[in-house]
This record gives sequence, C-alpha cells and structure tokens, in this order.
Amino acid sequence: MSAAPEASTAHLVAVESPSKRFFRATEIDTRLLGMVGALILIWVGMDLIGVWKDQGFTLNPLAIWDNHSFLTPRNLWNLLVQTSAIAVMSTGMVLIIVMRHIDLSVGSMLSFIGVITGVAQVYWLSPWLGSESPVIWIVGILVALGAGALLGAFNGFLVAYAGIPSFIVTLGGLIVYSGAAWWVIRGETVAPMDANFELIGGTPSGAWIGGKASWALAAFICLAIVVGIFTNRSARARFKFPQRPIWAEVFLLVVGCAVALGTAWVVNAYPWPAKVAEAYAAEHKIPIPPDGADGLGLAHGFAIPMLIALAVGVIMTFMATRTRFGRYVYAIGGNPEAAELAGVNTRFITLLMFMTMGILTAVSACITSARLDAATNSLGQTNELYVIAATVIGGTSLAGGVGTIYGAMLGALVMQSLQSGMTLLNFDSAVKDVIVGSVLVFAVWVDQIYRRRQA
Amino acid sequence: MKSIKTLLAGAALSALAGALTVGVSTAPAEAAGKKIAVSWKTFQEERWKTDEKAIKAVVEAAGDTYISADAQGSASKQASDIEGLITQKVDVILVVAYDSDAILPSIKKINDAGLKAIAYDVQFEDPNALYITFDNIGVGRLMAKEIVKAKPAGNYAFIKGDKGDPNATFLFSGITEVLKDGMDSGKIKNVCETFTDGWKPDNAQKEMEQCLTKQKNKVDAVVSENDGMASGVVAALKAQGLAGSVPVSGQDGDLAAINRVALGTQTVSIWKDSRALGKAAAEAAVALADGKAVASIPGVAKFNKGKKGVEMNAILLAPTPITRDTLNLVIDAGWITKDKACAGVKAGSVKSCG
Amino acid sequence: MDAAKPLPLVEMKDVSIAFGGIKAVDHASIDLYPGEVVGLLGHNGAGKSTLIKVLSGAYKRDGGTILINGEEAHIGNPRDAKRYGIETIYQTLALADNVDAAANLFLGRELRTRWGTLDDVAMEAQARRVMGRLNPNFRRFKDPVKSLSGGQRQSVAIARAIHFNARILIMDEPTAALGPQETKQVGDLIKQLKAEGIGIFLISHDIHDVFDLADRVAVMKNGQVVGSGPVTAMTKDEVLGMIILGKCPPGATPGPGAMAA
Repeated sequence: MSAAPEASTAHLVAVESPSKRFFRATEIDTRLLGMVGALILIWVGMDLIGVWKDQGFTLNPLAIWDNHSFLTPRNLWNLLVQTSAIAVMSTGMVLIIVMRHIDLSVGSMLSFIGVITGVAQVYWLSPWLGSESPVIWIVGILVALGAGALLGAFNGFLVAYAGIPSFIVTLGGLIVYSGAAWWVIRGETVAPMDANFELIGGTPSGAWIGGKASWALAAFICLAIVVGIFTNRSARARFKFPQRPIWAEVFLLVVGCAVALGTAWVVNAYPWPAKVAEAYAAEHKIPIPPDGADGLGLAHGFAIPMLIALAVGVIMTFMATRTRFGRYVYAIGGNPEAAELAGVNTRFITLLMFMTMGILTAVSACITSARLDAATNSLGQTNELYVIAATVIGGTSLAGGVGTIYGAMLGALVMQSLQSGMTLLNFDSAVKDVIVGSVLVFAVWVDQIYRRRQA
Repeated sequence: MKSIKTLLAGAALSALAGALTVGVSTAPAEAAGKKIAVSWKTFQEERWKTDEKAIKAVVEAAGDTYISADAQGSASKQASDIEGLITQKVDVILVVAYDSDAILPSIKKINDAGLKAIAYDVQFEDPNALYITFDNIGVGRLMAKEIVKAKPAGNYAFIKGDKGDPNATFLFSGITEVLKDGMDSGKIKNVCETFTDGWKPDNAQKEMEQCLTKQKNKVDAVVSENDGMASGVVAALKAQGLAGSVPVSGQDGDLAAINRVALGTQTVSIWKDSRALGKAAAEAAVALADGKAVASIPGVAKFNKGKKGVEMNAILLAPTPITRDTLNLVIDAGWITKDKACAGVKAGSVKSCG
Repeated sequence: MDAAKPLPLVEMKDVSIAFGGIKAVDHASIDLYPGEVVGLLGHNGAGKSTLIKVLSGAYKRDGGTILINGEEAHIGNPRDAKRYGIETIYQTLALADNVDAAANLFLGRELRTRWGTLDDVAMEAQARRVMGRLNPNFRRFKDPVKSLSGGQRQSVAIARAIHFNARILIMDEPTAALGPQETKQVGDLIKQLKAEGIGIFLISHDIHDVFDLADRVAVMKNGQVVGSGPVTAMTKDEVLGMIILGKCPPGATPGPGAMAA
C-alpha cells in the first residue's frame, strides 16, 4: 500500500515543486483558495476602513480592537443570514449555466412565489384554520415548493421541448412573473406571515439553534468528514487504487474541522440582543444578572436560514457529483451532442434542471418572505442579477461545462460581504453599485487569466 | 389677464359647442349635462380604479356625463385619446399624464379648442391648466413631525427611497426641514442615511440591520420614506427586540402598515386618500364645466415648484397622518376593514380597535 | 445471396432521409455479416455518415427498414440503437470534454451503488481495465478528457464502444486524428474485434485504410449506393472510379446510384 502514492504520480514530470505536489495530493482547487483569499481581503479591508473612518481617518493600532464593526460576530452572523437566500439560488444557477443555459426569471419568480405563499397563509389558511394553526407553515411551504416546481418545469419545458432559447424563455418569465406577482396582490403588502413560518427567516429568537446545538452540529460535521475520508479510502483500497497520502488526508480533516468549529465559535459569540434576552428572562422567570441580560449567556448559534443554505449546498453537491442526473448535467454542458449520442435524454434532464431551479427559488422565496415577515411584489426583484453574479464570481464559466456548487455559494458570500460591508460603512449607494459591478468584471477577468495560464 | 380672456372665450365656445351637439344629436337630450372626461395613463394599477369611482360619483351627482380613456401606458396612445376626446366635444379633461413633457402638445390642443385641462396627480407645466395633487413635500414634513413627537431627541436613522426617484429626495427635503432645528442644536443626530434600491423592503431590512450593527443598537428613531421599507425596518428592529420601542415612519397607508400602526411597531403611515383627490378634482371639473373661474374654486393657490418653474393654479391636498389615535379615519373611510387593521391587537389597547 | 450464408447482422433496406428537401440518403440498402468489416466509401457529403447515423439512432429515417438478425428493429434514438448492441465511434469522438475518462466511458450507462448513487470507484476500476487493454500507457483517469492527446481521446471513444459487448460497431473515420503508431493500434484492434465475431462498418475516405482492413466495400455518391463488393474482386482504381464517377466495376453488385452503363 505504501508504494501506491508513487504510482499515481509516476506519469508526472520527475521534478515537481512542493506547492504543486501539495495541491495535487490534497486535490484542493487553487481557484477556491483564491476566492477564500479575496474574501478574507474584503473582510479585513472592510474592517480596517471602518475603523479608519470612525477614528477620523487615522489608524491608531492600539484602538483597532475597540472600534471595529465588520469583523464582529454580530456582523458576520448577519452576513451569513443575508447571504443565505442568494446562496440557495446560486447552487441551482451553477448547474443551469453549466448546461449552457441561463435563468433570468429567478428574481421575479421569487416575488411571485413569495406573494402566493403569503396570500395562502394570510388570506386563505389563517381565516380558515385560525391564525394559531400549526399546519399553516407546512402548507405555506408546500404551496411555495409546488409553485416553484411547476413554474420551473414550465420554463424547462419551453426550453427543452419547444426549443426556445433559455435566455428568451426566462427573460419572458422575468416580465411575466413580476406582472403576475403584482396581479395577485395589486401592489399590496401581505403581512404578517405565520409565526412558525417566520422562523425560516431567522429573525425571531426561536429561529436560532443556540450554543450547544451549534457546537454539536460542528462536531457532527467533523465526524462526517472523518467518515467520508475513511469510506473513500476503503473503497479505493477495495480496487487497489492509489491512495491520497496520509498527511494530505489529515490536512483536509484539520482544515474542514477548523472551518466548522470556527464558524460555530463565531455564531456562538453573538449573544442574544439585550431586549430579546430580557423578554425571555421575564417570560421564563429567570432573574437577570447584575451585569445585564448579556450575563444570561444566551448565544445565537446558527440561524435556520444558514442551516437551510448549508443543507441545500450539501444536497446539491451530492446531486451534482454523486448522481446520474448531476453527471448528465455536466456532460450536457461539456458537449450536448455527445451526451445525446451517448443516449442521455438531454431534454428531460434540461426540464428537471429548470424544475430544480424553480424549487430552489421557492426555498429562497420562503427565506426572504419569512425574514421580512411580509410578502410584496418587489421582493426579490433583480435578484437574478446577484445570483448570476455570485455564480460567475464563484468560477462558473458562461461557456458551460465548468462550475462548482461551493464556488457559487462562496461567490454569493463575496457579493454580500461587499454590499453589506459598504452599507455598514455608510458608502454612498451609487459608489456601492460602481464597486460591486467592477468587482464582478474584475473577478471574471482574473479567472480568465488563471484559466489561460493553466491551459 | 390673458388667461381669463382665453377662459371666457373657451366657456363661450364650449357653450356653443354644447348647443350645436344637442341640435345635431339624435340621442336623448341631456341639455343641462356637461361632459367630463379623464385620460388615464394606465388602468393597470388598482389605485386608479379607486380614483375613478370617486370622480364618477361626483360627476354623475352633478348631472354631468363621465367619459374615460385609457392610454395603456403609452404616450402616443394618450395623445390620440385626447384628440378623440376633443372631437367628442367634452367640457373638461382631467389628464393623468404618462409623460409630463410629451403631453404638452396635447394640452395645447385642449386649450386651443377652448376646453379646460386639469393635471390630475401628475404635473405637466402648462399655465392654463389646473394642477390637483397631494402636497408631496408635506408628506415628508408630516412624517418627521410625527417621529419628533414620539422621540424629540436622539439618534435618527434615515431610510430613503430609490436614488433614481426624485420623490425620494423631495421627501427628504421635507423631512430635514422639520428636523433642522433639532439637528442644528445637536439634539437629533443623523447616524445612518441611505438610499434604498428600488424602494425594496428586503434592501431596507439589510440596511437597517447594518445600521443597528454599526450603532450597537443605539438608534432611537427611524424615518423610512414609505410603508414597504418600513416593513423591512420593523423586521430588523424585531430581530433585536426593539420593534415597538423605536418610532418608525412610512407613507402610502399600506394595509399591512396600518396593522403595524395598530400593533404599535410603526408610528405613523402618511395616507393619501385617493378618493379625496378624486372628489376634489371632480368638483373642480364640474365647477369649471359650469363656467366658474378657476380662482373661485376653493383651495386653489399659485404653484411654481415644478421642474421648469412654470406658475400655474393648483390644489394641494394635505395628506393624513395615520397614527394609533387616528386609525378610525382609515377604517371609517372604508380603506381597510377593522378586522384587518386590528388583527393581532390586544383588546382594549387601541381605541379604534375596541 | 446464398442460402448457406448466415443471417446478416444488419440489413438496411431502402433507407431514405431528407433535410429540407435535399435527399441526403436516397433509397440506400446495405448489409453487414458477423465477423465482417464493411468499408463505406464516398466523398464528403456523399451520404455515408448520414446513413450510418440512421443506424446509430442519431437521425430518424424518413423511409425504409432496418433488420437486425433478420428481425425488424425500431431505432428512434441512440438509446434504442444501444439496446440492439450497436455502438458508434463518431468522427468527432463525441466526448464530453469536461469530465474524465471513466465518466465518458460510462456516459448514459453509469454503474451505481446499491443506494442508487454513482459508483465512481467501480467505474474507474473497469475503465482502468478496458483502457489497459487498448492503451496500456494511459494513466490520466482523473483529468478531464479535454486535456488528453488525440490518440488518448480516441482510445477513450473506442473503449466506450467495445466495453459494452457491442455486436455491431460503427467507426466513422476512426484514424483521422491519429499518428502512424496509433493508426496501427486501431488496425490491430479492428482485427481483434473481427475475430470476436463483431460486425464493423468502417467509414473512411482513405481508400488504403479500407483495403487493408475491410472485407467488402460499399460506395456512396449523392446519397445513393453506387455498388458494393468484396475487396478481392476490385482494384483500388476501380473503387476510385466508383467514388468519383459512379461507375460500377464488374466485380461489384451495382446499386441505384450506379452510372447507367
């Protein structure tokens, strides 16, 4: 077994630099590394600019820790919640773009679905079942998911079977669904949503899983990484394939665990807001300690929208890499004709893909409307631009065939970091637009250079 | 002077035209009845139906005839609509302009035909026309007044509308006008101020979250320029357990916003009752059709705050601030049902909810 | 012809297909026996690739019948063709460039674990086995095929065709992108497959290739079959005459496209 690693690298040039060997052994995508680097740069940069502005445009190194606002658990927690809706949709958009299609209708579809589930909850179910009924939120979600599947499948049908270019179908959809959203509620705001439904958005205190559960989740993720590594090794051993070096496995495990535990630490370092904690203490007859409600030691932990985004990311990655469907999506993106000739039912796969996109849009519609505790026809409009931008920043090639789910989700985090960072720093909103747009173009340019150098 | 002359000439002409129509027409006589027309920019939006109902009621009560034309969101369709109305020899045309510049040649045609034009809700700058709308600067002032009443001093956050919409800036000038003294004396501090892309509630929510993070929750009042954005602001405040203790403004009389006012999470929604607007416009139209002088219509004043600064006669209606104490106004007016307005409100906590 | 002869593997009768009014294939008939290599010759646009795409299910014919082992076959798409044991190596190779060799090899016929997920390890193992037979030096199983050389890509395409126990193999210009060494490998492979009783349609415009490998040739011109016959009964010049002039030599059976003598 110890001779195996040599076998896998035998065909390579004899002299390989240590860094190259490192990336080959760990199979880490260097572009992923670049994106993480960019993210850290944005975070630290935003934090320092914030401090610099607050200190009257000077940087006093001693006071940095008292003044920073970006790199605080609270802001990072907000950032993750704010990213979740776009991140969920970007996981589908990656695969749509991989298949050489585009979906411009997701923003409007989000409004339409949000409005439908809002109307269902507020105007139909609540009067019928009573506003306290525990089934409202379930039916509300099912209505949204059903509508998403239906609208997505319809888009997919027009693209796959009627042969209309996806750009046109979804451009039409963009206009139609925004009109439809308006038509359902005539520009009104539907509110408030069902109290249980609202938890999906992460706003009320019941929507945070708290400190213990968050640590447990992080520990579970560590365990899952260990199990994954072992199953993979034993499967490869079964066929006597070359194995990854042990040090590389350990490295991946340590990094994966550190990210999981680190995130748990950050979300747990954000205590309950004082007022919310006070209300909780009053309700449960807990005496408030002398140092204020912070002393109750209640931590936010992961919020439900973050968990939804995480679950969607895992499921979509599984679908993309471990199922026939995902394999076909990539094969169609690489060479549609070859896939067709190989016997892949490309039309049906296209239909399914658009349907998946519709369902993911419905998930985002639930998150967004629950978070706002209201549905309006403007909700989510122009989101398609952010979703596509996140996907492209995340390394998806518009030429098709190439793209990863985790890349797109990271791309969404990059976009949201820039936007909320600049709002935090009170940037003029025109400047904000200029910067976000420039970053999009710049990111794609850097990506192109990287690809060319690799080829 | 000149305008009065044209007016008189117009009145004479239209009287003549009316007589001629009656003489030729085989339709049942409606001798006393004048014709009052409305050229809508688009009928796709629900609100115009409310306006129409109010206008129609007044016109028909006065024994006049109501005629309507829908431009379906097209400036050229509106131009031909107006030509058609002129040929039908109506007496007064209320115009909801789709494009306030492109409409001007059509208005000239109305004037040339000796008919009267009323700019309804949307201004076009023609000195002969009467402009009827809500006092938009007043909306900003009213918002600020109600917030100051609730929180005279402290950290204020301003959630403004879309940067591309002049109304956002317009409103803000009304707001700052009221807050100027407090800001100058340092009692009121502007801690966050941001435009909101597309007036979108979800954007407003993110902005408010960022503001609260930055200020470590030390925000005492929020001036939001409309109700939709106020819903985002309230959601952000709610996450910090602050909803209800921080005053929030809004406008439009959104049904959800009125409910928030009842619940106490929003302080005020400035309500522009389109029925009042329709009623005022229709009354003015009836008066003009009857040959009364513009100046004699109640509420008319000179107005020159348009883009080009053209001076024209205008009726500026005062919008109504809806607060917990004035909730009954919207309920009594039938704008919202009591059930909807008071959903979730604890019995006895709000007067109008009982 | 002879009653003693076994049943043909494939018999295409009177197959026609038109695109926008132009008859790409016009009442073409052609057959193939087990363990036989039939060379299909003709100019670019003569209709040979089109005829063969009808057999592989890529095109739907307008008329005519296809018999497999004497029974009428219903071929409407590539999946149908594969069910009849018809495998094709296209001129363009038809590989999905962005996925690896094993993924291409099993495209449309993935191996799955008992939970229904892709069994990548098993597929890689089989890919290693079949590739070891075709191209023992091949080791880049993890790289997308885009980064492989022309010969390596070719061996992936061939591996895909032979791995699934094909009975009928269609090779459209299989050596077009290859160097002499690799061309020889393909030639050896064809002989090996022939020995296993597989019937092969070899499409080429290289007449020398065809004379080396084929038992019979069929020539097409303007969508019609000029004629067909055993290579031993014809000279290369006669075959060239069929390709260029449509003149059927005495050693061949004339088809509808043969020039009136």
